Parts: sequence; C-alpha cells; structure tokens
Amino acid sequence: MIDHLYIHVPFCHSICAYCDFTHQLYREDIAVRWLQRLKKETELCNKEKYSTIYIGGGTPTSLSDDLFEELLKLISPYINKEKEYEFTIEANPESLSEKKIDLLIKYQVNRISIGLQSCNKDLLKLMNRHHDFNDVRDKVNILRKKGINNISLDIMYSLPSQTMADLNDTLDQVLDLNVEHLSLYSLTVEENTLFGKKGLKSLDEDTEADMYELIEKRLSEKGYIHYEIANFAKAGKESRHNLGYWHYDDFRGLSLGASGKINNHRYDNTKKMSHYLNNEDIIENDYLLSKEDMMFENIMMSLRLEEGLNLLLFNERYDVDFLDYYRDVLIEEKDNLLIENNHLKAVNRELLNNTLLSFMK
Amino acid sequence: MDKNKIRNFSIVAHIDHGKSTLADRILELTGTVSKREMEDQILDNLDLEKERGITIKLNVVQLHYKAKDGEDYVFHLIDTPGHVDFSYEVSRSLAACDGAILVVDATQGIEAQTLANVYLALDNDLEILPVINKIDLPSADVEKVKKEIEDVIGLDCSDAPCISAKTGLNVENVLEGIVKYLPAPKGDKEKPLQALVFDSYYDSYRGVVVYICVKEGQVKVGDKITFMQAGKEYEVAELGVKTPNEVKRDRLEAGEVGYLCAAIKSIKDITVGDTITASLNPAAEALSGYRKMNPMVYCGMYPTDNARYNDLRDALERLQLNDSSLVFEAESSKALGFGFRLGFLGLLHMEVIQERLEREYNLDLIATAPSVIYKVNLTDGTYLMIDNPSLMPDQTLISSIEEPYVSATIMVPNDYIGPIVELAQNKRGIYKDMTYIDDNRNQITYEMPLSEVIFEFFDKLKSVSKGYASLDYEPIGYRKSNLVKMDILLNGDVIDALSVIVHRDFAYDRGHRITVKLKELIPMQQFEIPVQAAIGNKVIARTNIKSLRKNVLAKCYGGDITRKKKLLEKQKEGKKRMKAVGQVDIPQEAFMAVLSMDEE
Repeated sequence: MIDHLYIHVPFCHSICAYCDFTHQLYREDIAVRWLQRLKKETELCNKEKYSTIYIGGGTPTSLSDDLFEELLKLISPYINKEKEYEFTIEANPESLSEKKIDLLIKYQVNRISIGLQSCNKDLLKLMNRHHDFNDVRDKVNILRKKGINNISLDIMYSLPSQTMADLNDTLDQVLDLNVEHLSLYSLTVEENTLFGKKGLKSLDEDTEADMYELIEKRLSEKGYIHYEIANFAKAGKESRHNLGYWHYDDFRGLSLGASGKINNHRYDNTKKMSHYLNNEDIIENDYLLSKEDMMFENIMMSLRLEEGLNLLLFNERYDVDFLDYYRDVLIEEKDNLLIENNHLKAVNRELLNNTLLSFMK
Repeated sequence: MDKNKIRNFSIVAHIDHGKSTLADRILELTGTVSKREMEDQILDNLDLEKERGITIKLNVVQLHYKAKDGEDYVFHLIDTPGHVDFSYEVSRSLAACDGAILVVDATQGIEAQTLANVYLALDNDLEILPVINKIDLPSADVEKVKKEIEDVIGLDCSDAPCISAKTGLNVENVLEGIVKYLPAPKGDKEKPLQALVFDSYYDSYRGVVVYICVKEGQVKVGDKITFMQAGKEYEVAELGVKTPNEVKRDRLEAGEVGYLCAAIKSIKDITVGDTITASLNPAAEALSGYRKMNPMVYCGMYPTDNARYNDLRDALERLQLNDSSLVFEAESSKALGFGFRLGFLGLLHMEVIQERLEREYNLDLIATAPSVIYKVNLTDGTYLMIDNPSLMPDQTLISSIEEPYVSATIMVPNDYIGPIVELAQNKRGIYKDMTYIDDNRNQITYEMPLSEVIFEFFDKLKSVSKGYASLDYEPIGYRKSNLVKMDILLNGDVIDALSVIVHRDFAYDRGHRITVKLKELIPMQQFEIPVQAAIGNKVIARTNIKSLRKNVLAKCYGGDITRKKKLLEKQKEGKKRMKAVGQVDIPQEAFMAVLSMDEE
C-alpha cells in the first residue's frame, strides 16, 4: 500500500544560490498549463488515500492565489482523513501571504515548512534570498494565531564565510521561536548551482564538524530530539512524511522532477517542462531494484535515524535473517554499530558513510 | 615473387614529427586503406597509444605500389615506437628492415631522439631516406633543416622529399624515394631458411603468433621448423601477411615479412630476436639477432585485493607475450602482501603496462615508486644488486652504494639554457659539454644518476622549456654516491613499500616534502595518523593526518536515494583503488609521492 504522496512545484520567484532542485522562474501562463498537466497526472493515484502528503519545491507559495487554491483543491481529497494525517507544504516567508495561509487552513494543510536558512543578512544576500528573520517570525506568529501548530524551519550551515558566531546567533533567534521542528543542512555545493558556478565552497571539514556539534548541543538543551541526521523535533513532532523515506516505505511522486518508489521500481519524472507538458510518458528513469538493492537502500536510509533500523520489519520485508545475512559486516563494523530492542543503530551517525560502504557489496 | 620489387623499411622520427601521419598517407596512397576507412593512425591499434599520441607496439603492414617506372612493388612498412623508453623495440624492428625513412619536422629541426634513431639505423646497416615534413606550416624552414641534417648527421639531403604528411603534399615523392633510394632485400630463396622473429603476440585460438622477416630461403605451411636459439621444433600451421588485415599465404620467401603460427602454446617458448630455420635443411648459423636490452626501472605491483594475485600473474604472462622487454618475478611486502617485482625499460613503459593491466584485465593495482638497481658493496667484500629499496641491508653492513649513471643529451634553444641547467643541477647532474647545432640551438650533455632521470625529469624538462627541449639518454655504468635508505612510518609502523633511496644531502628536504604530500593524499580515518620520515631510527620529518569527524551525506530524502547511492558506489570504487595497510587506507598516488619533487 502506498501511504505517502509527494508533489513538486517547480516554480520560484528567484533562484537561491545553493539550490539544484528542479526549478524555474515563475510564469503564470506556464503555471496554468503545468497545473492542467498535474491534474491529469493525479489520475495515477486512482483511489489511493495517503496518510502523509508533502507539497515541496521549488516554492509552492510562488503560485498566484488562484492557482494556489486550485492546487490545494486538487490534492486535498487524497488525504486519508479517517486517521491522523500529516499534510505539509513548503513556503517562503515573502510569498506566504495571509490569504494563502487562510487557503491552507481551508484545505486542511496541517504542517508548514518555512525556508529561513540563516538570520544573518549578509549570508541571506549571498544565498540570493530576499527576506530576513523578522519576516519569518511574523509569519510564524500569524500561522500560530490561525491554529497551525506544526511548523518547521530550514536552516543551513557551513556557508561560505560563515563563522561559529554567525551560527550561534542564528540558533539564538531560532530557538526563541520554539517551533516544533528544525531541519539543519550543511551546505553541499553542487556544480550547476550559482555557488558552484562562482566557485564558492563550503567550510573546511573541521569547522563543519564543530558546527554540527554546536547545533546538536544547543538544540538538545532546548528539548529537541535529534531524530535524523539533519532533523530535530519536539517529541511527537517528527516529520511523518520524511520518516516514510527513512523507513524506506513506498511513496508516489507527482509532477516535474519528482521521484517515487513503488514496490521494486523507483522512477524519476522528467526535469524538462516542455517534455512534461507535452507527453503522456513523463518518466525519465525507471530503476528496477533487486532485493539486494532494496536491502542496502533501506539500511542506508534507516541508519540515519536515531531509532535505527527495525530488524523485525526488515526480516519480514525481505524474508532474510539480517544478523545472519550481514554477519561479516556486523563483525567488521562492530565498533560503529549496536543493536537495541531489535533495532540496528549507528553509534556515530556523523560517520555513517564508512559503515554504509561496508554494507555495500 | 621478385625480391627486387620488395622494400622493407621503417619510419623513424622524434616524437610529434609526424611519423604516424605519414604512415596514414602512405596507406591511403597505396590504396591499402581507403580514406573513408581510415581511422586516425591506423597502425596504432592499442587504445592507449591513441590516447597518448605515441606508438608503443610495433606492427607490420604490406603495401602494394605501382611506381612511375611502371613496375609493381611490395612494401613492408614496419612501425616503430617513438619514445625514448622504447629504443630497444625500435632496434628490433629495424633489424627486420633494409632501409629507414627519417622524418624531420621542418619547424623543429633535429631533436635528441632524431639522432638516437639515426644511430640505431646506422647500427643496423640501413639506408636512410631523409624526409622533411610539415613544410606547409608558416614557421617551416626547409633549407635550414636540410643543412642541419647534412651538418649534424652527414646525410645528403639534395633529393630529400619535402612534404606535408597532414595535407598529403608531395607524399608520392616519398613512395618514389623508397623505390629509388632504399635497397631491396638481399636474400636468396634457394638457400636454407633463416627468418628473424621480431615480434610475437598471443592469440587464444592459434597460440603464439610470431612476426617474421624471411632473410634467406623460404617457409611453407606444413614445414617442420626449428627456433635455433630455443632449440624447439614446430610444424607451420599458418602463414600470412598483414594488409593490414591478415591474408593467409601458403609460403613466405626471402625478403618477405609476415606472420607465422605453429601451435606454439606458450610465449616462453619464443624469444624475439631468435632465428627460425627448416628442421630438414637447417641453416649453418643463426642471424645475429640483437642485443637484448635489460630493464632499467623496477617497481612492485600488487593487487589491491590479495585474492587476485593469480589473475595478476596470468595477465603479466599474457602481456609478456607481446612485450618481451617486460620482466617480472614474485615478491612480497609486509604492507602490501603478495605481488610482483616488474622490470621496465623506462617510466612510460611502466605506466603503459600498469594501465593495460587495469584496463584490459580489470585489475585494481598498487604500484610502488619506481627504483633503479643499486649495487651495494658490503663490509665483508661482497656486493648485492638491490632493485627494491626495502631490501637494502642494514647501514652497518654497507661499505658503499653505487647507482647507475646515464649520459643525458639535451637539445635546447638558447633562451631556455638557464632553466635547464638549474633543473639538471637539482637532479644531481654533472655538466660535461655544450655544442652549437645552429645559431639558436644547443646540445648539452650531462652525466646524471638514472634514478633522477626516470622520474619527472622529462616532464619538468618540457615544462621549463615550454616544450622546446628534447632528451635522449644512455647508460654509462655505476658510480659511488652518498645514498641512504629513508623509511616512511604511518601510525608508527614502517611501510616497507614506501621506502626510498635518497642522496644524503637531499634527505631532509625530501623527507619533509614526502610527509606533507602523504598528508594530502591519505584519507582521514577516525583517529589521528602520524606520518614520519626516518633514516635508521632517526625521525627527520613528521606531520599528522587529522582524524575524521564527519562524513555523512548532508540530506537524504526519497528523491535523493539514487544520487546518494551512486556517490557511495563511487567512494567504494575509490576505496578499491586503495590498499588497506593496518588500519590505514593508502591510495595509489601515495606510493608515487615518495619520488615527487613538487612543492606543495
């Protein structure tokens, strides 16, 4: 059963310097055609209902109010309202108007993820972001007043020229807001981003590690649980949609540039708007996954979690005995792995890659 | 076939003077290969050669040419390598020829290897036809280059074809020149068979295929033949010529060049340079063959995965079938496990072999830094020949160490004499002589330790002279030097495969550079790794590789899985190219770093 749905909104009003997601500058006429095509694509969902839906981007709030409402009206019926659900949308502080907030409530969106990235104005400018911390704080307050009490902020670190003091200052202000969820990403400079083209680099490994430790320390002091390598949440406020990825559950992805995984298939949709708008078949890559592929990917995803990999579920899912199948790896990596309550956990999650390489056949 | 209508020749040239391009034009003009079919430099059929723009393996092709005298001629073009490392292979291909075309670039003039090749050709009693190439280039100075050839080499250039191999201009004059100035083979097909083996390769279906030049007599399919040096007897199963595709023939006669198969199972049964004769009517003596050149450079090669030791041995045996200058024997290292000690003609030869092993045999290898053979005189009056620094005896047992020296001939324009002299001095060169080739060019001679010449010298020579300097060298024997073994320690353990022999005066500087370089190259581990250079028990340089604190992928959601997994797969591949020594992974480059002169 597919329990998770992801929809990608590929438009933005400006392009962030670090971003290599599928995006293009917003144009109303293209957005209209895109939404028409998306409508057709949702036919794939058939009668599916999902316990989590995530509308990401791009910038979903870059759509005009009309198109924004049309999108929500299209997607909202796919929520499984018989159980507790999670319906998340990503937002940029400058385009999250009160009007849009009202629409979110009308269509039962119950979780908002806002891109803050930093509280430092110079760093925001460097990233080509057009807001400041006050904008974010104001939007958080409005959301709360209107009853949305599951808010997440995205923050980046290891940014070019960033200092420990910069990060500390950002954390001070962010912690004051006391939101339910925080995602903290160290910068990875990809080639085809503005940073990449300018030759800008993230900070050295030592400073990055210092920052990671600072973040972990300050957030746990405030009661956040470090439930995934880059994600922190108040108890019970973990992102259920993203947990689906880390549990290696099936999910459906819709729209330009989205990916999905259904049984032993993973697919990537085309990243070309012209192809998306004009073709029936929009799948660019379709990977047939072997059992070994899936076992490895499941381990790769689940060891990112504090709770680790559920071995009972794993054995059931793949009809193997994990401890037997991976005996050699468990011996080789005995200092880096531990088993607790039938869960396999990485002792040092920040050094997970080494351990994963041992699992790779 | 009338042997007076046969011409067997090679083309020799300094690298980049246009040898392969001329060969292409000749193949086209003789209709051997049509232009449409022509791949660039068709004779260079190893991938590596195409990539590096050099010819390594010699090959032979039969051409048919109707000359202006109305007669049909058969040419055998025997290709030769164009790099200093391979002068041995040049000499063996020349032994199969009666003449040589000497290509000289009209914009460059005579270079170090032009001379070296001419001397080889003269050693083999070949007639030489000089050809001036690249006359279409604006900077060509034909008259000056002709004069240079006449003055320096003493060849008459009045009838030398002046051509552009690239555009095809005047290339037919070369073909006419071959007919007119190069001699026909001298042999007599009625005499007892004498055929020179000048190359061989292994074919899985037919066994060893040998390339032969029939000097006297004739050989037919079904004949019983004897390899005179090896003393082994076979029955001829197949004969043929290369056009360049193989064309089967029932016989080959004096003057002809082709291939022979005789169900020969192992390359070890074949010695290139051997003479084939008829078992029933043998020749009285073997052809003089040629001096086998001994390897000058040695290194260890180890599979990163010890389980592939036997695969490496099989691959080396296969390669040796095509490359008799390659030698190897088993050795073991505390750090690297079981592998082989390989001997090469030079560093390029070593790189080519390593790349072929990795590409064609899918092996992941670690090569240790190349070493020359040291003569170590012991206090008890005996001596050892050491080609592996880690086997150097204890200092207290050594009375002196000798190393091989070469005489290096460098040709260089006036403007770059300064930097070349400085480079040679840094490489412990002893200045011997400088002569003028013309107003602007000089020939400088240095005596240098071979160990300094083999590594980076050629590249540095090219870079300090903006590519204008050229080099050739020949061994001149052993000399005493103040040498010492330097050990490298990682995490407190001596890594035998990283030991290196250095001159005592340069030891501190080298030790410092090596440790800094290793710090860059060796990936961080979860603990700090001290890197030390030591002579005996005395540490002379030290640095630390910091411990790894974080290496997890920044973010990883559903859409990232494919990409992140590919990244991990790439890392896993990278790890395969490293050798785990104790708890430390050492990448291939680290083993070369011990010889690097780079400032970093």
